[in-house]
Amino acid sequence: MLTEKNIYKPVMAKLTEVIEESPLIKTFVLIPEKEFSFRTGQFIELSVDGIGEAPFTPSSSPLITEKLEVTVMKTGYVTEHMHKLKPGINMGIRGPFGRGYPVEMFYGKEVLILGGGCGLAPIRSLLYALEGVKDKLKKVILCYGSKTPADCIYKPLFDRLNKTEKFEAYRTVDRADEEWDGSVGVVTTLLNKIKITIDESVAIVCGPPVMMKFGTIRLLEMGYKDEQIYLSMEKNMSCGLGKCGHCMMGEFFVCKDGPVFTYNELKGTPDIWK
Amino acid sequence: MQYKCIPKEEWDKTLEQLLLSFTIFAVVKNEFGQDYELIRPEDIPGISYNKPKPATSLKNFFLPVRENVTSERSDGKKRVIIGVPNCDIEGLSLLDEIYLDNEYDDIFYSKRRENTILISSDCFGIQEHCHCMSYGILPYSVRGADLAVINLDETIILRINTPQGEDFANIFPAIRLVEDKSIIDKIEQKQRATEKLLETSNLNLPDYKTTGELVTRAEVDIWEKYSRQCVSCGACTTICPTCTCFLLIDKPGFEKVKQMDACQYPGFERVAGGEDVLFELHNRFRNRYMCKYSWKPGKFRSTACTGCGRCIEACIGKINKNELFRELSKQPVC
Repeated sequence: MLTEKNIYKPVMAKLTEVIEESPLIKTFVLIPEKEFSFRTGQFIELSVDGIGEAPFTPSSSPLITEKLEVTVMKTGYVTEHMHKLKPGINMGIRGPFGRGYPVEMFYGKEVLILGGGCGLAPIRSLLYALEGVKDKLKKVILCYGSKTPADCIYKPLFDRLNKTEKFEAYRTVDRADEEWDGSVGVVTTLLNKIKITIDESVAIVCGPPVMMKFGTIRLLEMGYKDEQIYLSMEKNMSCGLGKCGHCMMGEFFVCKDGPVFTYNELKGTPDIWK
Repeated sequence: MQYKCIPKEEWDKTLEQLLLSFTIFAVVKNEFGQDYELIRPEDIPGISYNKPKPATSLKNFFLPVRENVTSERSDGKKRVIIGVPNCDIEGLSLLDEIYLDNEYDDIFYSKRRENTILISSDCFGIQEHCHCMSYGILPYSVRGADLAVINLDETIILRINTPQGEDFANIFPAIRLVEDKSIIDKIEQKQRATEKLLETSNLNLPDYKTTGELVTRAEVDIWEKYSRQCVSCGACTTICPTCTCFLLIDKPGFEKVKQMDACQYPGFERVAGGEDVLFELHNRFRNRYMCKYSWKPGKFRSTACTGCGRCIEACIGKINKNELFRELSKQPVC
């Protein structure tokens, strides 16, 4: 009989709370039946019983092991079912998988984070991790863009960060509404407002593919070197184990070799922005 | 390298007895050609030796088309597979790299590997599309399989490759060490003859490394041209000994069914938002070539195309990858 660890079998996690972040985005608070730890930027396969599973990077702090938060945009079959879930049921978790953010490599540096849309979910987890080691960092700047003010998630996060020593947070929207008096334009427009010493910094980009592409181009124009730019890639990561082949991107399995890559690692690979 | 021998009659007799303690599969001729079959006593005399190659590849013994990967199961009797051509043995080494990964060992695969004795069969002769040697694979096994079998003048000769193979050979009471050097010479002559046939049949076919370079720099027009005949049926990937992509399907009770998949099927890389890098047929078509000759060689030690030629035989659009490679090799380098 099989007694060894079965890589395909999920661990159960109780859904305890569902937080509505925006019309299309909800955060699911989960208590795994076993202690669950991950490195920020790693992802999990989260399953809805009998429906399917999909990859998500937890949006909660990697320092908390008894509880896990996953922020999910309603965008396909599995996520549509997730959005109908009510607290009290069990979900399945496999993982954590892949290579997360190498936080130790950021010590002594300024960290610039470019986020777009639901890309703020993994970034929030990274921000928690960076807050935990802020003594070792020079500063952290978050630039975040959403389509409209209503699409912006974790609104209280921005105020909190701006009150935290060494942290700055900026927001922009593609389309303003009547109440919005902040910046309007794509996320890269925020880069004109910030003060950063490029040679002593790293940049992290996480968001929809088009934003990742233009964000990276802009960072390169600003003088960032390929190896200073960290990208969180998204593909159809089905097994999470480097076996099923769905997330192959050139020589990389995004699930195992990534999902966090430096631009230097990926620049020779075709179709990375698709 | 050690050779042992046994009269064919004795080999057959002992195989019949072994059916009590082992599940035996072997290559058997049928009206369509030859393929692996589950052996019953009456099938033993009809086992095919040294003729290339079974219609399907070895991978299905280790990666079933569909299996529940969350339910427990018992190991069952030890399996013996007789007549595996060396191309399939070499193909298995890529599967081992993927599935016996230290970090994420697939227990279903590893149990099957541990539970299987592999008896290869030297290929004496070739089929129309065999081209293993073009990719550095010999038409006979000197590693990878536990044993290699040769049927020579009503004598079964076993080349011992592993300790497990030696233990299995020693089960046969009539087994003897081959001391007559002329027998080994005869085998080697046959091996050389097969090598010669492969060379002659594959003149001008670029080697594995060159093929990788050719497909990497190939322009879109060649993919469009050859993919015009492709109907995305996935026969090439299904029959391929090294294509291992799969899908996990969720069933109630958090059960998961692992089902073989293919990058040639539409939607293989589609993500939830609808983006699909491989939406266009020629991109999907190219993906398989890039995977086998450029990406996998950059990632794994094992060869991702064994030159078995089954994808050419299986293609209902009559696409011959080797014609594509020959055409690419004639194009001037810019």
